[in-house]
Amino acid sequence: MSNPTTDVAAPKSPPAKGGKKQPPPPIVPSTTSAERLALAQKYGLKPLNVRPALGEYIRDVARRWPFIRVMASSTAYAKNQNNYLGQLWAVLNPILNAAVYVLIFGIILGVSRGVENTVAFIVIGVFMFRFVEASVTGGAKSISGKSQLLRSLHFPRAVLPISSVLSQLATLIPAILVMCVIVLLSGFMADYSPERVTWWWLLLPAAVALLCLFNMGVAFIMARLVATTPDLDNVISFVMRLVMYASGVIFPVTNYVHQDLDLGGWRQTAVELLFDYQPVSVYLYLVRSTLMSEETIQPDGTMWIMGGVWAVLFFVIGFIVFWRAEERYGRD
Amino acid sequence: MTEAEAHMDFDLELEPEDLDEEAPEAKLGDPCLVVDDLHIVYRVIGARGKKAAGGAHITEVNEKQSFVRRLISSGRQHVGAVSEVHAVRGISFTVRHGESVGIVGVNGSGKSTLLRAIAGLMPAKSGSVHVSGEPSLLGVNAALMPQLSGERNIMIGGLALGLTPKQVEERFDDVVEFAGIGDFVYMPMRTYSSGMGARLRFAISSSAQPDILMIDEALATGDAAFKAKSKARIEQVRENAGTVFLVSHSISTIEAMCNRVLWIHQGQLVMDGPTHVVTEEYKEFVRAQRPAGKGPGKGPGKG
Repeated sequence: MSNPTTDVAAPKSPPAKGGKKQPPPPIVPSTTSAERLALAQKYGLKPLNVRPALGEYIRDVARRWPFIRVMASSTAYAKNQNNYLGQLWAVLNPILNAAVYVLIFGIILGVSRGVENTVAFIVIGVFMFRFVEASVTGGAKSISGKSQLLRSLHFPRAVLPISSVLSQLATLIPAILVMCVIVLLSGFMADYSPERVTWWWLLLPAAVALLCLFNMGVAFIMARLVATTPDLDNVISFVMRLVMYASGVIFPVTNYVHQDLDLGGWRQTAVELLFDYQPVSVYLYLVRSTLMSEETIQPDGTMWIMGGVWAVLFFVIGFIVFWRAEERYGRD
Repeated sequence: MTEAEAHMDFDLELEPEDLDEEAPEAKLGDPCLVVDDLHIVYRVIGARGKKAAGGAHITEVNEKQSFVRRLISSGRQHVGAVSEVHAVRGISFTVRHGESVGIVGVNGSGKSTLLRAIAGLMPAKSGSVHVSGEPSLLGVNAALMPQLSGERNIMIGGLALGLTPKQVEERFDDVVEFAGIGDFVYMPMRTYSSGMGARLRFAISSSAQPDILMIDEALATGDAAFKAKSKARIEQVRENAGTVFLVSHSISTIEAMCNRVLWIHQGQLVMDGPTHVVTEEYKEFVRAQRPAGKGPGKGPGKG
């Protein structure tokens, strides 16, 4: 029986009623493999699906910058296009989000734990952490969810995770404006000390830029991991929740570690260092220190250096990790 | 009506306007594409190949015969199921500048996979493809975003094809005019009729002019007038590109546009030659698959 389809259900179809013509047998090529390769070389043909050298790849990606930009802004824009309020949701969404967290943690539960301005603390934490989380989940799907695109167009695949993170950044910018307003307003609440616009606010874009770079690095790594092992996609949300509680998004977890935890000796030091200097808490610290006038969160040079180190480290390693599987994306 | 009819409803469409046309003669140049013993295997996660399947090219991955494995095998259909589809199995050929190559074969024979592989979009398991210049598949559908306006999508699609923003702006009017959608270009694409959407997609896709053009069934969009228009456009691209690959179920389209045909069957190349020689054989094969006395494409069942 010559069943031409790969459909496993097909063999159930009735057998041939005789007189069925068979296709000709496969052709045996008249040239050997070596001859064909020599021919290709003679006419200067380039092999396809060979990973370009790193330098060339970086240039390719840079050349696609307009595509990255348009993809990122279009994706962010398209998200709100099916609503009556349209792009207004870009601002409403973060406001509602902040309201929920402030209501539950700031007012009902009253988790302050040595922080003066709980509202500003929580709002900054939640907004910045959502950027990290959205970049990780978006980056994870940026290759595995785009197999149709990968199978129809040719471009350096790094375009996809980058534009995924940039589209999150585009969503973040209105949220940051909301965040700044809430921080200022929170200073007027009864028992909080007033918040003022200081020169430190000028450093906010730098902190966000470093965080964005870090996010891209993580997105590269997640993109490759999930492209090869789709199951990991299910684990991400749990890991992100763990990271959320370990980074002091809603309450200053470092205070617990420094005051309540007592492991003693080097172990205590190691845990303290881990909680203080892991990337996400570093970036939360940077943003908080620029916007808030909190005594325990003052601008700190070491934190800025750590922020820079993490951003460069993750971006470079992530990019290389991603590039090393460039020729394999789109196979599954 | 049976399920099998869906499989049957395919490969011998005749399009009257193409019937008496022949592909224009073209001078053959140097080789511009060499395919060497190409194998394409893709993993299908979440499905298990049945051993009894007629297509011998679906194989299970990591099939282990241990006792424990067999004990739990009843659950394995749903847990950790991975199949491999060996879609292209050792194909070799050489194409010269100026050739237009049609690829024919019944459904599931690996035509589209082969086309994607020689466009550099499906990584090969073994073997290699060598090309001069950049091959490009006609089709940007996957890059477009239905919530956004046609205008925005022309930019996205053009950039996705590798044009610069300036080039896209220059070709904007041309694309809109070719698609014939007028002011609808400022409406979201999801509001388009299917014909308008297809016309715009084709217009965007064909705005870039690659060295080697690959077309997968792109001709079957829109009404007769648009078909004629798109054929002219492809002809124009073909003149510039020099080399064209065409996968189509319409034999007459292939006869009208190609001067060489590859016949793929179960992932292997079974015939390679001048258009008429191959298509005659192929038509005979497809007819023999149908029960006698039935019109083309309307058989009640398979085989």
